[in-house]
Amino acid sequence: MTPTLPTITGIGSVSPYGPLAGLIPPELTAQCPLEPSAITAWKTAGLRRAFLVKPFRPADVVPGLKTRRLDRLSAWALVASSLAIKDAGIDLSQVDRSRVAVVFATSFGCVELTEAFYQSAAANGWSGTDPSTFPETLANAPASHVALFHDLRGPNITVGSKGFAGESALIQAASLLRHGQADLAIVLAGDTLTRAVYEWYEAADLLSPACYNSESLPVADGFVPSEGVTALVLEAAGRCEVRSEAHSYARFRSGCWVAGGQPVEIARQMLCGCVPSLTICAGNGAPCATSPTIGLAREIAGQNAAVVPPQAVAAGLADTGALLHLILALSSRPSSGLALLLGTSLGTSGDSGFAALLLELP
Amino acid sequence: MTDIQKTIVVTGVGVISPYGIGLDCLQAGMLSGKCCLAPTNDLYPGFAGTTAQVQVQAYELPHPAEGFTSRHSRTDRLAALAARDAVADFDCENSSFRESGVVMASTVAGLTEIDPGIAHDPAAWYRRGGLSRAASYPVARVADAVGEHLGLRGPRCAVSVACASGAMAIALAANMLLDEIAPMILAGGSDALCPFTLSGFNSLQALDPDPCRPFDQKRKGLNLGEGSAVLVLETLAGAAARNAKVLVVLRGWAMTNDAFHPTAPQQQGNGLADCMRRAMEMAEVDCDEIGYVNAHGTGTPLNDIAEVKAYETAFRGRSRPVPVSSTKSYFGHCLGAAGALEAAITITAVRRGALFPTLRLTDPIESPRVDWLRGEVRHQPLPLAMSVSAGFGGSNTALIFGNIRS
Repeated sequence: MTPTLPTITGIGSVSPYGPLAGLIPPELTAQCPLEPSAITAWKTAGLRRAFLVKPFRPADVVPGLKTRRLDRLSAWALVASSLAIKDAGIDLSQVDRSRVAVVFATSFGCVELTEAFYQSAAANGWSGTDPSTFPETLANAPASHVALFHDLRGPNITVGSKGFAGESALIQAASLLRHGQADLAIVLAGDTLTRAVYEWYEAADLLSPACYNSESLPVADGFVPSEGVTALVLEAAGRCEVRSEAHSYARFRSGCWVAGGQPVEIARQMLCGCVPSLTICAGNGAPCATSPTIGLAREIAGQNAAVVPPQAVAAGLADTGALLHLILALSSRPSSGLALLLGTSLGTSGDSGFAALLLELP
Repeated sequence: MTDIQKTIVVTGVGVISPYGIGLDCLQAGMLSGKCCLAPTNDLYPGFAGTTAQVQVQAYELPHPAEGFTSRHSRTDRLAALAARDAVADFDCENSSFRESGVVMASTVAGLTEIDPGIAHDPAAWYRRGGLSRAASYPVARVADAVGEHLGLRGPRCAVSVACASGAMAIALAANMLLDEIAPMILAGGSDALCPFTLSGFNSLQALDPDPCRPFDQKRKGLNLGEGSAVLVLETLAGAAARNAKVLVVLRGWAMTNDAFHPTAPQQQGNGLADCMRRAMEMAEVDCDEIGYVNAHGTGTPLNDIAEVKAYETAFRGRSRPVPVSSTKSYFGHCLGAAGALEAAITITAVRRGALFPTLRLTDPIESPRVDWLRGEVRHQPLPLAMSVSAGFGGSNTALIFGNIRS
């Protein structure tokens, strides 16, 4: 492992597997594919399924955490970040918190409260909207709650990127460390599923038959919406070595994402002649079994390469699934050497986007 | 010795503002002291206040023949127009231009296209024509709109950190250039006026019904505006390789968070002061060298006093007061676009040696370390200037621009 690279030392997640610190235990990933759940949060016209986070009390997971006034996205960001910091073995009281960054990737932001704000406008008119809801509709509310809760005063960034928000967040966080703008970054990616989002997917005819039929497997035939937040602790080179108990899940070597161009050529440039020992496909909403990412992975890494196909539960997060794809792959396929995470996304104008993260595994 | 691979320069600026299209239009309006804030009562029933609107009648927003459809929000269109303006003189067939990245900030994005009808029965609202309009909701759409409009194939990223978004987009773009993620990046912000944000700020009682008075003792709140600004950023080496005209150098940038309150700034302005200090450190300049600060200056009671405290801390070692103004007094607070528009104004200030005053500043907050710009435009050589942004959630960003000789 190259010692000068930023290292992923902590993992936390709130996903359909539940709230977890560290990698996802084999007994959970063995249920592959995870079954979607029936939606009960709103009235649906017949069976509708998705990968849903089961309700839980955040304070049961993170003692003392108060989330009563927050939407689920902010609450999950707080839980996932706390679990990741704990997993990394970091005592924040020993850290210069003005040097800790938060980088959060989201596609829909605080859509639950945005819908609630529209509901208050529908009920009371625009002149009668709820003042306590409005600031929490902003996309950066979860990241700012993470900063507030942990007293993190470094850069606080919320990004979106069609298909690649998770990848983009990790790349931006590594950049902050590389340029000395932070020593440590909490990288988060996630979204919540609401009625308006789900029904948009449905109206746009994007849903897998598995959303309507419990006999249909999501792995085979398309997009099953998902929800959750994944958090990583990324530490600057040299920081984590002083903690004997620190994990070293992976080191971040490089990353890129583009809206067009030649993915194979770009990935080969990144690899500099090396062959990845593991290629992780991030589906970004594409049908998992037929994802173009798998073909791309074979083309880059060779026909016999170890390729982890997109996981439906992470692919259902669309723009923000990359971090969950990463920890699922690390959980189910212990490996060493170079890992390449590949994401593809079809642009609205027919151009195809591409993202790649190159990681060193211990 | 300047490392031209690590020196970030601005080679294009595009602006859509209530003054019209283009940076020339903006600076001409501001130099003449024209205020674009006006009484408004047609944005939703019951609203009567002051805003600054982009007059779409003055020109055509991109239309379907140019690939713009109902999938594109007003925010998207403003962004695309500003981006087109920024690269108006560019060779768009140049390969480094085609590989350009886009980092666009927004807080409103496609909320301009969505109405409360979505709340009751989303599926029915989509059937009534809302499906494509709702597609513009994710903030990432703004960056896509710019990239697709100009046929750019580099990385696209959206930034949404409330009112610091536009400045942060520029800072992140600069980091990406240092990382050689793209040869050139179009970075900025765009936001359009809409009932959602007007209603939200109104509910918080943050709006001044009259034209705002940033930093004045009698300030009552902010006015909302709309617009977009896009900067073209590249390394000095990249600009030299294509013989591009360098407008200014982005000497330093920094981002911090107050970690204090979801909406209120930390009262002593500590986070913002730290942000300015870090930007000056990066630029390797002393606080005495900053000739002008384009302030965040919203006109709200809490923001402005915290901001003055931040200047007092950041410029503590300075031999004379630092010239400061808030240009939100000309066309309001453009939210996600504000930081980018103010960066464009700061660039104008550096290039023209023109320090714009705050309008309606008659009784400023007292501060021994601030030289309040008011009255006439002050003309003086300006090697270095800083643009400061802050937002809900405690985000702060500072950008330092210098002329090429700086």
